[in-house]
Amino acid sequence: MRSLPFWLDNWGMSSQTQVEEVLDLSKFFDHLWVTIVWDDPVNLMNYVTYVFIKLFGFSKEKAHELMMQVHNEGKAVVASGTREEMERAVQRLHEHGLWATLQREDHGRV
Amino acid sequence: MGEFKGSPLTGDLSVSLSNDELHILINLVEQLLELLGEGNFNHHYQSDDPFAQLMAASMGNFESPISQPEDPVLRRLLPNAYSDIESADEFRKYTEPALRKLKQDHLFYLREQLVFPVDHELERADIAVSDPTQWLIAINDIRLALSVRLNIDQSSFEKYELMLDTDQHKPLFAVYFWLGGIQESLISHI
Repeated sequence: MRSLPFWLDNWGMSSQTQVEEVLDLSKFFDHLWVTIVWDDPVNLMNYVTYVFIKLFGFSKEKAHELMMQVHNEGKAVVASGTREEMERAVQRLHEHGLWATLQREDHGRV
Repeated sequence: MGEFKGSPLTGDLSVSLSNDELHILINLVEQLLELLGEGNFNHHYQSDDPFAQLMAASMGNFESPISQPEDPVLRRLLPNAYSDIESADEFRKYTEPALRKLKQDHLFYLREQLVFPVDHELERADIAVSDPTQWLIAINDIRLALSVRLNIDQSSFEKYELMLDTDQHKPLFAVYFWLGGIQESLISHI
């Protein structure tokens, strides 16, 4: 969960609509994209962990935690950044046989 | 049974494969290479002429977006990067040729490593594994391909264990799970 950025608090926004309008500004800052890895019955758990460590430089614990999230919840956000960065990440994950997609960060969770 | 020994740290990681296992693995690698060479971008990989490759690659950029491959195995190996089809096809137009090439390179690499023992009397080969990551990716792609053909799901192993020996699908399931074992063993050695 991401809390509101500090500059939103100072704008005195109260209604949800206004907050969402402001958040839509993110379209102009091309950095709110995420890479999602989806569960599948083929990729072995320790292979997925290995790929996360290799591609994203996670610690073994962090990679294992994310792998378990994919396994138990069906998906996990494994990276965030610019659209271009996420496209590169997805391509690398596809190279390694993981099922990954990218999308704009979900504003609904604010 | 495809056991690894040694370590990449000491530079002596190797796997012992029987001639039968080598035959099976070579066959699968070659089938998948053939499949990956098919489809929209066949022409990229048929020519060794760098100019022809360049022309083919740049022509691809001016074509209309390409859609997901029809073969379900290729759909799994070259999945959509976006949930909306328009963005997925647009992304695919620029990236699918490169992704196919990467997968082919890993498989070619593995194919080159799979050499039968020089001594014809021997029934097993000890194969040095100098690049474990390429092995993992190539074997994983073969498992993904087989999984689509075999409709693998979470309960497949239990079903496999209950299969009768006369079941015509049993050998291919056995190969699928054998490859999973190879992958597990390899990861535990790196």
